[in-house]
Amino acid sequence: MPYLIIDNRHIQVPRGTTVIDAAERLGIMIPRFCYLKVLGAVGACRMCAVMFEAGPVKGLQMSCMVQAADGMRVSTTHPEAVAFRRQIIEWLMINHPHDCPVCDEGGHCLLQDETISGGHSRRRYTGAKRTYPDQDLGPLVQHEMNRCIQCYRCVRFYQEYAGYRDLGVMGIASRIYYGRFSDGALESPFSGNLIDICPTGVYTDRPSRFLARRWDLQRADSICLHCSLGCNTVAGAHYRAVIRQESRENVRVNGSFICDRGRYGHAYANLAERPRQSRLDGEPAGWREAAREAAARLKRIAAAAGHSAIAVLGSARNSLETQIMLRYLSHHAQWRPPRFFVNGSEARSTAAVVARLDSRLAAGLPDLEEADFLLAVGVDPVNDAPMLALAMRQAARKGAKIVVLDPRPVELPFAFDLLSAGLGDLPAALAVLVKTAVSQAGTDGCEAQEKAFLAALPGRVPDEKLQGQLGQAGGWLAASRRPAIICGSAIAGPELAGLAADLALLLQTGKTPSRLFYLLPGPNAFGAGLLQRGSRYFPSLLQDIEKGGVRALLVVENDPFFRYPDQDRLHSALGKLELLMVLDYLPSRAARAAHIFLPGATVFEAGGSFINNCGLLQYAAPVHEGGIPLAQVSGGSHPPRAHAPAPGSEKCPSAYEALLFLANELAIRPPTMDASPWSLLPEDFPGQAELLAHPYPTDGLQLLPRLSEAESLQTPVNLPTSGPAAGALTVLRVEQTFGSEELSCYAEPLRQLAGPPLALLHGADADRAGVRDGEQLCFEIGGEKVELALQVTNRMAPGQLIIPHHYALGRAACRLPAVVAQAELRGLTGQDSPDLPQAITES
Amino acid sequence: MLPEEIRHRLETRIAASAHPRELVVDVMYELQNHYGFLNDVALREVAELLQLTPLEVEELATFYDFIYRRPVGRFVLHVCDGVVCWMFEEQSALDYICKLLGVAPGETTPDGQFTVLPTVCVGYCDHAPAMLINGKLYGPLTPEFIDRTLEELRSISCDLVLCR
Ligand code: SF4
Ligand code: SF4
Ligand code: FES
Ligand code: FES
Repeated sequence: MPYLIIDNRHIQVPRGTTVIDAAERLGIMIPRFCYLKVLGAVGACRMCAVMFEAGPVKGLQMSCMVQAADGMRVSTTHPEAVAFRRQIIEWLMINHPHDCPVCDEGGHCLLQDETISGGHSRRRYTGAKRTYPDQDLGPLVQHEMNRCIQCYRCVRFYQEYAGYRDLGVMGIASRIYYGRFSDGALESPFSGNLIDICPTGVYTDRPSRFLARRWDLQRADSICLHCSLGCNTVAGAHYRAVIRQESRENVRVNGSFICDRGRYGHAYANLAERPRQSRLDGEPAGWREAAREAAARLKRIAAAAGHSAIAVLGSARNSLETQIMLRYLSHHAQWRPPRFFVNGSEARSTAAVVARLDSRLAAGLPDLEEADFLLAVGVDPVNDAPMLALAMRQAARKGAKIVVLDPRPVELPFAFDLLSAGLGDLPAALAVLVKTAVSQAGTDGCEAQEKAFLAALPGRVPDEKLQGQLGQAGGWLAASRRPAIICGSAIAGPELAGLAADLALLLQTGKTPSRLFYLLPGPNAFGAGLLQRGSRYFPSLLQDIEKGGVRALLVVENDPFFRYPDQDRLHSALGKLELLMVLDYLPSRAARAAHIFLPGATVFEAGGSFINNCGLLQYAAPVHEGGIPLAQVSGGSHPPRAHAPAPGSEKCPSAYEALLFLANELAIRPPTMDASPWSLLPEDFPGQAELLAHPYPTDGLQLLPRLSEAESLQTPVNLPTSGPAAGALTVLRVEQTFGSEELSCYAEPLRQLAGPPLALLHGADADRAGVRDGEQLCFEIGGEKVELALQVTNRMAPGQLIIPHHYALGRAACRLPAVVAQAELRGLTGQDSPDLPQAITES
Repeated sequence: MLPEEIRHRLETRIAASAHPRELVVDVMYELQNHYGFLNDVALREVAELLQLTPLEVEELATFYDFIYRRPVGRFVLHVCDGVVCWMFEEQSALDYICKLLGVAPGETTPDGQFTVLPTVCVGYCDHAPAMLINGKLYGPLTPEFIDRTLEELRSISCDLVLCR
């Protein structure tokens, strides 16, 4: 641990720390442009010069390029260093425009700060400045190339760190140009990070362009709700609209970056059509009035039909406080235990994950970056949880072998092996791969139970080619030292989640101690998984409604209509309810169907705690009070000049507060408000109540048990091998980076990037069915049309028709059949004269 | 469109290379010599041959002085702008050539004969000040020598731009 002196202050730092970082630990920010910790040092800008007065290095040197060493004495204020830096900044400013007032970076610009702090306040250069045309980089990032100071951060992030290849640096010397080959939307789903890392205003946030200076924003630490990773952000609101998000560093989760879904997904909070008015039987009503009436009706129903005639549906986007309140309420009112998932398979997968994940097994994103072998199964990282792809890329850059086992044509920004297997074959294929690895590595450390489990695993899959690939990948796994299994939950069922845990445990007994990383369906799916214990799944609830056993349903921040396959059944069942009460901030179908509707508050207004996919509890702070954005109230004119309450400015109570109110009305002992939400459920979370009081540590609180109590490594191993019948195609509904997730699909800029609705088909299936790439598939369902552009590719598993969820697909898309006969496809293209080559039709 | 023969030759070379990306400069030269300059069509062909993105090819094409992304004259005068040549210049050869031809650096004479490009050291420092014209070195440059050289060039026939 080197020990050095910087500006007369002593510090000891870990070996390998650069002097610029050592100074930062002392609170001394040495000016810098090119240096960014995650990207490493390149010494390009010369802005970080300091004087090395004593020790192994002498003289004026770049502090980002020199590692701290014993005996160093460094001065950041030495006159020579100060003069040097002043010249650098003057030189960088020679070509930089002097128009900060019209630049959107102004107010949070590193170049502004360092020009001032560098002491360059008077312009001496009077010549012409070099200028460039700007490019249209798509709806997310605005380009203003004249502001560039050639630090290379953007290219190093975009190409080296993130692995995308359409933005770079062209030309040399005074013609140097950072941009794309030609105008067009940036291809990387991480492009918004350019905005955060560019030290000047070359890349700025396009949707919020010219809306506000950063100092005008109400800013607070927030958590991204657009997938289960729980990346950290800073959200900024202005005039009652959330307009901008930036990434916030958390080395346990997202590191320094976030994806574009997370950065731009917040538009749902500002929607003009966001419901803001409480309703009672279709008529506008006061919030309290509506809530009181709800309580009265609930009491009546309980009196008439028993407490169990009331059921509750929360969601995986509820904050933990809300989920706990739902559980508390249903427990004390003796209603049915709350459900959180409409989709039964998601509920079961989440239950399996929550039961199996413990700190022996769990890996976080940073652990994945350090792995030397990654096996992703049932996961399409860029589409399911984009930041996962970025973490996997860091492992790939360090030489890790990466294998993806999935039916989809997975694309990733690094080299990997795609093993295409049908949905039903995933568990068996995973088992074969791991069995090969364990057998190769030797079973010395295994106990009898583990040996029996190993023996019971299948050793073969029917597909010869896949078998060969699995064998090869098993060899890589056997040779690895820090492997990890990444297991999705969106398309594969609970069996896969359980099997992945068993296999990781099996590997841990041997020489390849594997870690495990699950994805979950929603930002607080983990919380839902903890709190759904004892409840049955949504489909069974529907049955009870149909039979009359359940007469009232309280839906909190969920829309059962969003993706439920049998929309007609859902519609008629909910129609039977005496009371459908909905509380939400989205303009959902359920909200419209409700007898009693209460508008909700988004995370930006209410804040809340969320447990991410790794069991990490994090807190999102409220950002602003909420209310109708001023731009909508004022019709685009100047916001009101007087401090009077503006229309729509009433704050919506959070779901937690609304439920408290309800509890009060129902005369249920209200919990003490200042207690941590966990203390409400001492019987469910023994020992955690004291531990968990706000505020949690800023980097989150790990909730996983040391050892899971779930049964593991049980024999016999029952793996489903339900392939589709010959000639049939399993329809797979999948996520897409943009335009499919429930909240972010309201964001217009992301919609623009979503592309048209697609259906993906394997080449062999397309040939047999006589359909071609680019043709239009048209399903007619209940009088509605679902039109999909057919994309034929051989990079996917045959036997599937993959249809990404898409905002533009109407309700009918929920009702797409689960299986389509190959022979039907041709008819769906609307061209019924098949011109097939004879040989293929016969086969 | 690239003639089949050239394409085939390049593809064979690329297939035999352990790191095809290394061949990018060679491939750009081949296509430049075929088209006369590396136009957008050629640039995309290079990208496709080497499985690079157009941007990645453009990054390199615009980095190297000897890859021409715009049409050039029959003769490209790479006038040395290196340190040693500066030391020998009482009068700038570049200024003289530009004045003589009536063009600015980077421009081509209206008759399509000459393009003038300043460049870094052309490796002829022992004959500084120097320049390189279609792959041939000239120096030391004096006004008389330049006059004579350009006069000679006007009278010889040469169809192709050769860079090496
Ligand atoms: S565009 Fe920004 S990040 Fe990129 S080199 Fe220029 S100043 Fe640096
Ligand atoms: S990866 Fe997921 S949690 Fe992270 S920013 Fe993207 S959508 Fe949000
Ligand atoms: S920050 Fe050290 S040289 Fe740029
Ligand atoms: S400096 Fe001109 S040839 Fe070397």
